[in-house]
Amino acid sequence: MIFKKATIPLIIVFVMGVLGFATQYVPHPASATVTEEITSWFKVIGGFGLFIGAYSLIHMHLTRIKRRMEGWGYSMFTFIGAAFMIFVGLYNGGDGPLREASSQEQVTQKMMFDWGYQYVFVPCTATIFSILAFFMASAAFRTFRARNLAAGLLLVAALIVMLGRVPVSEWFSLQVFGDKGVFDTATDFIMEGPNLAAKRGITLGISLGAISQALRILFGIERSYMGGD
Amino acid sequence: MNASQTQSKKLRQAGIVRRVIFVLVAVAVIVPYILKPNLPGEPNHWAEEVYKRVDTLKPGSHMMLAFNFEPSSGAELYPMVRVVLMHCFKKGVVPVLMTHYTNALNLMKQVVAESATQAKKKWGKDVQPGKDYVILGYRPGDEMLIVNMGENLKGAFDKDLDNRLTQNMPALKGVNSLRDLDLAMDFASSGTTQMWIAYGSDKFGFPLVAGTTAVQAPDLYIYLPPSGQLKGFLGGLRGAADYETLLCRSDNVAVEGPANKGMPSQSAVHVMLVLLILGANVRMIYGKFAGKRKV
Amino acid sequence: MPEPELIPDSTQNNRWSPIEMGVLATMVVVFLAVSLWRQTVEGIAHNPYDTIGIIVAAGLTLIMYSFLYRDNPLFKIAENLYVGISLGYATVMGWREALRPEVFDPLFRAPTETVLYDTLLHRSVPIILGILLVTRLSRKYGWLSRYSFGMLIGWGSGMGIAITTHTFILKQLETAIGPFQGAGQHAAVVPFSWPWMTAVALPILLAGIVMIGTVAVLWYFFFSVEHKRAGGALSKLGILFLMVSFGASFGYTVMGRVSLLIGRVQFLLFDWLKIPR
Repeated sequence: MIFKKATIPLIIVFVMGVLGFATQYVPHPASATVTEEITSWFKVIGGFGLFIGAYSLIHMHLTRIKRRMEGWGYSMFTFIGAAFMIFVGLYNGGDGPLREASSQEQVTQKMMFDWGYQYVFVPCTATIFSILAFFMASAAFRTFRARNLAAGLLLVAALIVMLGRVPVSEWFSLQVFGDKGVFDTATDFIMEGPNLAAKRGITLGISLGAISQALRILFGIERSYMGGD
Repeated sequence: MNASQTQSKKLRQAGIVRRVIFVLVAVAVIVPYILKPNLPGEPNHWAEEVYKRVDTLKPGSHMMLAFNFEPSSGAELYPMVRVVLMHCFKKGVVPVLMTHYTNALNLMKQVVAESATQAKKKWGKDVQPGKDYVILGYRPGDEMLIVNMGENLKGAFDKDLDNRLTQNMPALKGVNSLRDLDLAMDFASSGTTQMWIAYGSDKFGFPLVAGTTAVQAPDLYIYLPPSGQLKGFLGGLRGAADYETLLCRSDNVAVEGPANKGMPSQSAVHVMLVLLILGANVRMIYGKFAGKRKV
Repeated sequence: MPEPELIPDSTQNNRWSPIEMGVLATMVVVFLAVSLWRQTVEGIAHNPYDTIGIIVAAGLTLIMYSFLYRDNPLFKIAENLYVGISLGYATVMGWREALRPEVFDPLFRAPTETVLYDTLLHRSVPIILGILLVTRLSRKYGWLSRYSFGMLIGWGSGMGIAITTHTFILKQLETAIGPFQGAGQHAAVVPFSWPWMTAVALPILLAGIVMIGTVAVLWYFFFSVEHKRAGGALSKLGILFLMVSFGASFGYTVMGRVSLLIGRVQFLLFDWLKIPR
């Protein structure tokens, strides 16, 4: 049983890993054919994978309702929203997802489907993310203090970049320095100097870590992707 | 005052300060829409690079637009896609749109429709799907989809979003893989630009530019020239505003567009935040000196 | 005595005072009145799809913003509705754009036998792997999904090693060293003249700063060796570079978040309240 459950998957990982690595360096046309074939598999497998995510969310909310956990009533609205979109998206005059809707059905249900997207999904998701602007402003005011050199540098860099990326800085820079490009130049220096150095260092470090992690996966040392027994 | 009373007072003060700042931010955003100040800005040189790349494409060239953002980042990236698409339609370049996000599909259709309307209004360009542009749509696979497109684009997307076969589509004539693209642009709200660099342009050799949210922008400087993995990029709403400015200048018209309309509010909030932060730091430093003098 | 929470936990005080309830009810009435005034009854009758949509969208936007005052039942309802709509949309699109064109249509709606055999040849393996993937949800047969995950992760890791090495390591090292190699191309320029400063000295100075910063940051993250004396100084330098970078990132993040707020305000002002653009 261990052979089926653990050994075969590890063999598959190793073989596919070596194949994936080799196709990058073997210039033979067969290499391109293999790459094209296997990468096309991901489109199919990914389609099945989408439903795992949907199932997990449905299961979580169902559990909340069944066990009458705190806030279970709100989970009903999750199902109402999902049911509405799935119904209008797949109804097709009662034939469900197995055929294309007729042109008239398409117009009606497409309109409702698009309506749900444009007037419920879009405003909700955009607004939730825009709330961060308020919290960011409040947090910046309360915590941004130049208590030491490092904090001071962070503060100065943030202030220069915040001013440099808005048009009003050109007017301000003209009044104070007599040249409208001072903040722009300072911002560019920060972004293409210290910021670039730090990001490059971080990227190199992450990449080395990623390669080492990939090698651990290929050689079966890292097995967390397999899940529990 | 005992400890619990001090605690309540601090809580109340913190809550009031927080809400005052929220109100200030809201006022700073709304007031410029009423006053409508004129605050033109000079485009950034990376935005100019992107503009030049698109502007020098010949009519009939193919440009892939990877529409990799959801409505949550639409405020920054939608104006960007809109103006780049308008530029493509103006130049007769054929945009080929695709996405790695299911939630982006309707937004993609919407921006193409809006850009097509604007192109007709401004330059009399009547663009047709399948002929002057193509929306390939969504397929799962992320980086593997990019590699699949790089080997066989029409195999990766055998039909477009409206179920037209891509095999003999006029809009994709001569484009069988990503290698055949004249330019590609990734509109990204997360790390898809790095994905397109690694699995796309570095592997298949097509020129790549990017349009990203402001949050992503600092991470992309390592890929710009002299590295050359990215030829240029537009960062955030300011990047979209810069592109609109360049497009309007080329038409010799007054600068307009949704991104430029947002710049006065952006300026107001940034200046307000800078002043608040500076004020808080001055108060802290003064408090330190006052404390030292007492001792 | 524990530090007082600077952000009060609204879940500990869920009760709304009568004044707060009254204000909330008034705001709902005002919202409906303003919507009817700006969108007009004729507008609703003439184009209910968009007009009612705008009113619903504006209502949801303002409900979401009510969270800034306090967490409340309306916000929770809107939040859960949004999660549900998002789930429904992704499910429908996942079927329409992924499973139907890649699995269902080629198998069950193949126009010719040749296409069907081609599908069976090229898609049997991924379809089986996809079905095995879904077994992850079963406690008894979940181990079958390891075959699918093994294939996905193995191929991805193998390909990733080669691509990561090239794009994120070799190319970046090449770029870091490149400016120093380029200095020799300007041998004809007179040293310490202005052209020499702009073509040779300043680029090399900047490249030098970047190189020192990159090494310092990499050294800071190398925890296998204790950072003492020269190593400690280099590590501190790395921290300073990181702080400048984080400051720049913060500046850009503020810009990004404010832009999102600007987008919503534009919708509320121009689409809902119909203020002239």
